[in-house]
Amino acid sequence: MLRTTLAGLVAHRLRLLLTSLAITLGVGFIAGTFVLTDTIEQGFRQLFTADAAKVAVAVTPKDELIPAKVLDELTALPGVSGAQGLVRGTAPLLDKSGRAAGSTATSGISVAAGPLDRTSYVAGTAPGGPGEAVLDENTARTRQFAVGDTITVLDLAEKRRQFTLVGLIDVGVDQNLAYTGAVGFDTATALEMTGAKGYREIDLAASAGVSPETLKKTVSEALGQTYTIKTGEELARKLALDSNVELDYLVLVLLLFGCVAMFVAALVIYNTFNILVAQRTREMALLRCIGATRGQVFRSILLESAVVGLVSSVLGLLVGLGLGALGLAALGRFDAPVPTGASVALTPRTIVLGLVVGLLVTVVAAVLPARGATRVAPIAALRSQVEEQTFRAGLARSIGAGLLLAGGLALTAVAIWVLDGNTGLLVAMGGGAVFFLGVIVIGPVLMSPLGAFAGWVPRKVFGVPGRLAVDNSRRNPKRAATTTVALTIGVTLMTLISVITASTRETVVSSLDEQFPVDFMITAQYGREDGMPLVPAEVPATLRALPEVGLVAEMRQDDTGEIASLPDRAVFRPEVVSGSLAALTTGTVALSETQAKNLGAKVGDDVPLTTTKAGKVEVKVAALLGQDSLNGTMPYTVPAADFDKYFGAIGPVRVYVKVKDGTAADVSRRAVEAALTAYPTAQLVSAADVRGEFDDAFDMMFTIFAALLGLAILISLLGIANTLSLSVHERTRESALLRALGLTRPQLRGMLSIEALVLGLVGALVGVVIGVAFGWAALQTIPNDTVFVVPVGQVLLYLVLSALAGVLAAVLPARRAANASIVGSLAAS
Amino acid sequence: MTMTTDVRAAVVARGLSKTYGQGDAAVHALRGIDVSFATGAFTAIMGPSGSGKSTLMHCLAGLDTVSSGHVHIGDADITTLSDKQLTLLRRERIGFVFQAFNLLPTLTAEQNIRLPLEIAGRQADQVLMDRVVETVGLRDRLSHKPSQLSGGQQQRVAVARALISKPQVIFADEPTGNLDSRSGAEVLAFLRRSVRELGQTIVMVTHDPVAASYADRVVFLRDGLLVSEVTQPTPQSVHDMLLKLEA
Repeated sequence: MLRTTLAGLVAHRLRLLLTSLAITLGVGFIAGTFVLTDTIEQGFRQLFTADAAKVAVAVTPKDELIPAKVLDELTALPGVSGAQGLVRGTAPLLDKSGRAAGSTATSGISVAAGPLDRTSYVAGTAPGGPGEAVLDENTARTRQFAVGDTITVLDLAEKRRQFTLVGLIDVGVDQNLAYTGAVGFDTATALEMTGAKGYREIDLAASAGVSPETLKKTVSEALGQTYTIKTGEELARKLALDSNVELDYLVLVLLLFGCVAMFVAALVIYNTFNILVAQRTREMALLRCIGATRGQVFRSILLESAVVGLVSSVLGLLVGLGLGALGLAALGRFDAPVPTGASVALTPRTIVLGLVVGLLVTVVAAVLPARGATRVAPIAALRSQVEEQTFRAGLARSIGAGLLLAGGLALTAVAIWVLDGNTGLLVAMGGGAVFFLGVIVIGPVLMSPLGAFAGWVPRKVFGVPGRLAVDNSRRNPKRAATTTVALTIGVTLMTLISVITASTRETVVSSLDEQFPVDFMITAQYGREDGMPLVPAEVPATLRALPEVGLVAEMRQDDTGEIASLPDRAVFRPEVVSGSLAALTTGTVALSETQAKNLGAKVGDDVPLTTTKAGKVEVKVAALLGQDSLNGTMPYTVPAADFDKYFGAIGPVRVYVKVKDGTAADVSRRAVEAALTAYPTAQLVSAADVRGEFDDAFDMMFTIFAALLGLAILISLLGIANTLSLSVHERTRESALLRALGLTRPQLRGMLSIEALVLGLVGALVGVVIGVAFGWAALQTIPNDTVFVVPVGQVLLYLVLSALAGVLAAVLPARRAANASIVGSLAAS
Repeated sequence: MTMTTDVRAAVVARGLSKTYGQGDAAVHALRGIDVSFATGAFTAIMGPSGSGKSTLMHCLAGLDTVSSGHVHIGDADITTLSDKQLTLLRRERIGFVFQAFNLLPTLTAEQNIRLPLEIAGRQADQVLMDRVVETVGLRDRLSHKPSQLSGGQQQRVAVARALISKPQVIFADEPTGNLDSRSGAEVLAFLRRSVRELGQTIVMVTHDPVAASYADRVVFLRDGLLVSEVTQPTPQSVHDMLLKLEA
């Protein structure tokens, strides 16, 4: 039996090729995920280990920074040959136009030459004195600074200080520095510039003959329990562990997409084996005639699938290596703060996992077809023609599908109207998955009417080939359904993501338009102090004095982010639920609707407020404001004069500027920029900038998802190609007959292309409908009022692309069918 | 190159050879055959297994390429045509009836009959359609799918389909090979009637002397050569000739 199976495999190797490809890609994705993350992990480990080798013992604080005197204490300890305190704070770098670079202040760090120096230099040297500084290479590139230039950095008092740029450094895998950019000074200058009250880490080098462990003991005895004391090795391990936690999220997200790809691959395999079994009915029957038992037939099919699974999985591991390297290269290109230099790592875990997943999925997918094969009666060997499979929706199928569909809808309904937040979203998506299973079960029933619907135009337009093609597409609903459902999965997810991104984008943009009817927003640079960074208090007055400026609204809030000052009413247009903003006078407050509900307060009630300057005060509620106000999340809004009384004249978090009507955008921008020259850290953005940033973020997210889903879609297209080529094989004689009757080669090719087009279109239609519906459901679970937008253009594009992809998948099978010899095909049984 | 062809001949072959393979492995299926088939006649091609009769039919019908020689269908030399031209010629001028698998399983009997016309984008001649359907006796079976028809009925649908486009010639390859003798007789009688009543030209390959006896003329092949012919055949005369050839 084994020999028969293997001989069969060799004979059908071409037919199995596409199936293998599906598994290879699926396993490749999963293996690639692990290759990528393992490589990064290994890179981290190597990096940290290399760093750690320089440090014997590292002292880190538990909460506060380490005071300077501890450094002196440590330097004096026996066995310490060197001690180095690390400083980190903010030191805003000014770009060439004299404004603080980036929305977050540049980090100011200490870099010191010597044996404990862990900095890696791309160019130049370490700062040799208080007049010299180094810059991380990315910031240097984007802000166009080169070694030898003079750079300007703001000190703690926002005074401009000039340094000679003497070197460029690589911040490596430090996420924080990679984000903010870094300017490095010698330790004393770093302390002065950042105003740091101490060190965030003190590294010690051991004298000759003193082991890190011994030194650790000495240090522990000297410092007690106040600080965390680790040997260099321990520190490296901890850093590597911390970085892995972040990697785990990446693994999770990638694996999720990997699972989708594998599921699609499983459908493709299931279908292929079903078709192979159907085509080999006579072969099976012959085996049964000459004495093979049902069990032997069953095992031979499973064995076949196991061999296919194994071979494909091995190839998949190779593809995974490639994909991992590709992912690494992509991360490297985008300057992601991960070590990308390491050579790709194929760990035993990846190998085992890839092989097991590939093998298991293939064999499990082949179980049902194999069971079908055991039902072949020996007498079938004697029948001259393989019977057409007729499909009838059984009661069990209808009930099963009904339960799944109803269950999915019920779950989703509960998610929308009962639950909310993340739970709601997760339940809604779960409901979507259950509903989708129902669609898979009921698929064969839907296939015929949907095929007729999708084929309506081709039928009319393409004449006889069109009509035959549409008939063929509906001929074996079970097979067609499994083929198309693989594509449906990809299209559903794509549509879902499109709907959600388009809706969120629209929501953001429309709320920007409604609530920020302004031209510019000014914020402070992040990172300078704890809590919300504040724009200097004089900025609003400076701006109001400009002739180009119409309205200035300052958004002020207390440290807790609960109490806001009422901004300019011409800009601030909240939805007033009850009471009125006009009544918001001294000693009153406007509550957000949510806060009023929490407190059980209504207009006219007194509510307590905790303030920094006036202690606890009782204020009367003057109005309730809806969710969509400018300070939507602010529970309390008080008049500006009261705010000064309660919290002092602190600067605003944001300042909104509306220019006078008729002022050109560039003129007003220049005026506002000029007014802000004295405040280099104030960040000026226009409404268009904000929108552009949102757009970029959405586009980026969408592109990443699309790329990750691309693989699942590619596999489903392989499935269509596979089904078609097997169908073509089954219909060899039919094709020959049509050719004999005068169907030209292009017409025959066209016929198969149209069949694929109809299949692709049906798959996409179902996917688009489900995707839009569950996109809507997902949006309903998000508590804020989100606008529901169907990106019609994009959705239509998916339909067209799916149809075209179907046609593309048909190219090879169609060529083969059209080029077959008529006489040979007619003779073939 | 023009040939002195019989103006009344529907199909003429001159010096027809067909060789499969090359060198030592070459098989000479046809070794230079000259034959013509008269318009409005029912001709049978007979011969022992391996005599080349099916190959001859395939070459005559343009389904297979020839190694040398020429085949004229009407005024067209089909050995000089491209695949596309050949396809169009088959569509316009040739009808086929095969031994098995004549019908598309997805189409009804009527759709199968109309198929060649629809492929050619022509309208069915309703009078002819009625007459053909009547002659074939399938009026009440027209909306059935092939799987709902008996073997004999399926072949009659196939014949009706061959007739509907009024081809210059119908090639029938063992049309009764898969049928019981009664159904076979019905199909053969019907083929003969279409020659007599509709003036159709039919060339039929068969190995059954009884089937051949329905024809006006039987030509005999052996080892790729035309060796003999019988006009106004009877089952007995055909049988005798076959025995003589195989001896």
